[in-house]
Order: sequence, then C-alpha cells, then structure tokens
Amino acid sequence: MSENHDHSHDHNDGHHHDHTPITIDETPGYYEILEISIRELLIARGLIGADEVTKQIEVLDSRSPVLGSKLVVKAWLEPDFKDRLLKDGNAAAEEMGITIYDNTAFTVLEDTPELHNVIVCTLCSCYPRPILGLPPDWYKSKEYRSRTVKEPRAVLAEFGTLIPEDVKVQVQDSTASQRYMVLPLRPAGTENFTQEQLESLVTRDTMIGVTIPKINNN
Amino acid sequence: MITVEHNPALFKEGEQVKVSEKFPIGHYRVPTYLRGKTVTIAKNLGRHINPEEEAFGKNAGNELWYYQVIIAQKDLWKEYLGSKDDTLEIEVFENWLEPIK
Amino acid sequence: MSTENLVKHLPNDIGGAGCSDDKVNIFERDLYPWEKRCHALLDVLDYHKIVNTEEKRRGTENIGSEMVGKLSYYEKWIVSASNLLMQKGILTPDDIAVKTKEVAARFNVVL
Repeated sequence: MSENHDHSHDHNDGHHHDHTPITIDETPGYYEILEISIRELLIARGLIGADEVTKQIEVLDSRSPVLGSKLVVKAWLEPDFKDRLLKDGNAAAEEMGITIYDNTAFTVLEDTPELHNVIVCTLCSCYPRPILGLPPDWYKSKEYRSRTVKEPRAVLAEFGTLIPEDVKVQVQDSTASQRYMVLPLRPAGTENFTQEQLESLVTRDTMIGVTIPKINNN
Repeated sequence: MITVEHNPALFKEGEQVKVSEKFPIGHYRVPTYLRGKTVTIAKNLGRHINPEEEAFGKNAGNELWYYQVIIAQKDLWKEYLGSKDDTLEIEVFENWLEPIK
Repeated sequence: MSTENLVKHLPNDIGGAGCSDDKVNIFERDLYPWEKRCHALLDVLDYHKIVNTEEKRRGTENIGSEMVGKLSYYEKWIVSASNLLMQKGILTPDDIAVKTKEVAARFNVVL
C-alpha cells in the first residue's frame, strides 16, 4: 500500500481549480502519513500558517507550459519583446503577469539555425517551475540526468529528434539559481499562422529542447 | 561616477580558467565530470551565497561571484560521439575556478 | 576495497555516468495529492527560510546511496525535510513518532 513510484497509470483528469480542502482518497502509505504529520506539527507550532500549503498548491497549479508557449510566441511575433525576454527573463515574465516566486533567475536560451539548446539538471531537477509548472518524471530520471550531458544527440534521438551535424548542440546543466527555458526556432511555413496556432506548436518538450516545434503533429 | 568594488570578480568573460580538483564532503554543486577541466568564462552571473554553505543553513551574509562557463564536448568526454562543435555550459562558483598559469 | 568514494562522491552526482543502453523511459504522471502537498510544503519552508531549498537538496543526498536509489522523488523530499527539522531542533524524533502514530490511526493504518 506504499505510494509506489512505479505506478504506470496516469491521473489525466486535467487541472481542477476548485478550492476544496486537502482531501485524501485512498489509504495513505508511510510517506503520506509522514507528510501529513510534519505539516500538522509545523502548523500546530505556529511555524507555518494553516492555509499556506493550500495557497502554494494554487500557485503551483497556475503554472503550466501554456505560459511558456505564450512567451515564446510573443517573442516570435515581437522582436522588442524577444530582446527583453533574452535580456531579463524575470522582468519579461512579470510583463505577462507571471511572478517568479522562488528567487530564481529565469533565463531564456535562443535557438538559431546554427545552435540547438537542450536543458538538464544532472545533480537534481532544476527546472523553470514558475513558468512551465512541474517537470515530467523522465526529466528527473537517472537516465536523462546521466546521459544528456555526455550524449545529447543520442538522447534527443530517443525523443524522435535528429539535429543535423552542422547545427551545434549545446547542453545546459543547471547547477545554480538560473532556470532555463529554450526559445525554439519558429518553424518554416507558419507565416500565416494565428497566435493560437503558433502557441499550439510550442509544446513543453520544445522548451526543454528534447523536441523541436513541428507543424504536422497531434 | 567612480564605483569602487571591494570584492571584484576574479575572472572576465572570455577568459580560460581551470575547474579545481578537490573533494568537499557534505554538499557540492560541481559535478565530478567537470573537475580539472579547462573551461571558458561565458558570463558573469553576479553574486550569490555559496550553495555549499547555503546547504548548511547560511541564508544571508557574504556572497561569492559565480559564472556560466562553457567547454567543447570533445574536450570534456574522452569519446564524445556528437558533432565536433557541440558544447556544454554550466554554472560554477568562484571558489572552484583557478587561473591558468 | 576503499570506501572513500562513498564519502567523496555524492549519490546524485551522476552526470556522464549513464551508458547508451540506459534508455530514457519517456514516462510522466500527475503528482499524487500528497506529493503536491509535499512540494508546496517545501516551497513554504523555503519561503520562510525554515528549511531552504539547498538544505532540502542536501537532505536528499545525504541519506546514503541505498535510500537515494530506492525512495521516489517526493519520498526523498519528505524524509529530507523531516531530518532537517530535527537537526534544527524544531521537531524531535519522538514528536514524529507520536504524531505519525496518531495520523496512521485516523486511517486505521498500523505503521
């Protein structure tokens, strides 16, 4: 009955934004009991407020790759915004009403026809959570973390991405307070796309750098 | 206006430096794969509390300069199989960097 | 055989250690509710600097390679937080023993 991280079914029920209190549906395993205990002890001792965790869950739920795609497309459509985004990601995010809540430096890496960026955190799981939300399990896995720095092209190939030999692949290993997001290249043939159509091309994986935006997907 | 820096950054963008070979215990943020390598300073990232000390509860006080450094993958790995121009960038604090003599 | 590498080399320091046979399992799932609460709790603790994020990271590394390998991502987080709160004298082992027993009883679970 432990919370086994090998569960392979997804809880794909979308993001609920109701404000019901924290509820527990199944019998908790040991680690959930520990989590409940620590939280309740800290609240009882007055170290954290009774609703702080709930409020932070709402903040976490408000961040998703949709935000990143909006930043990317705005940068594609407005060169001045792109300059601001590349120069100071935190300020550019604030322009769009996105607060970087954790004292990290949101840093955007621009792909060019000569350069493809891919992001990893070998030591833990640093990821631009205030923009993209929570990272996927594979990003935190030992396989991704151990291999991406050493053989990025092989890892990208497992995601179906082949970068031509004459395009440089640059791996960014996050070790400090910078939090990286890729600004992918706008695909050819999208000159007449609407903003929404462009945003639908910019999936989460294109902003990590393991895939590139493709017109004929989904 | 003259600014007087009492704690100037040791290294400049474009400068080549060596990543130290040393063995902290308890906590570190420089992966073993980078130790002893020659890297180039790509960007000065400013100052921050040393994460090695932050990990033991230091939340305020003196800060260290840190840098984004870059290295060619073919110089980093003995058998790098990708393109010869591929690179890796990583952030390193000043206490881990030495000038090249 | 020397054990010094166990001391000098952290179990999370794995960049470059994998080989081409270690295919990435391109898997993801939504967080369980307790995991999301755990994530939010550590964010709140960092905000107040009761347990900062770098301390939390250290706490997920210093539990030894067996636990690093066997506990899931958020299981390591809550163990890290618990250990740090005890190291700082905020909670005691008995606080946790008594409270977890009480919480388990609420759900008819025996620890």
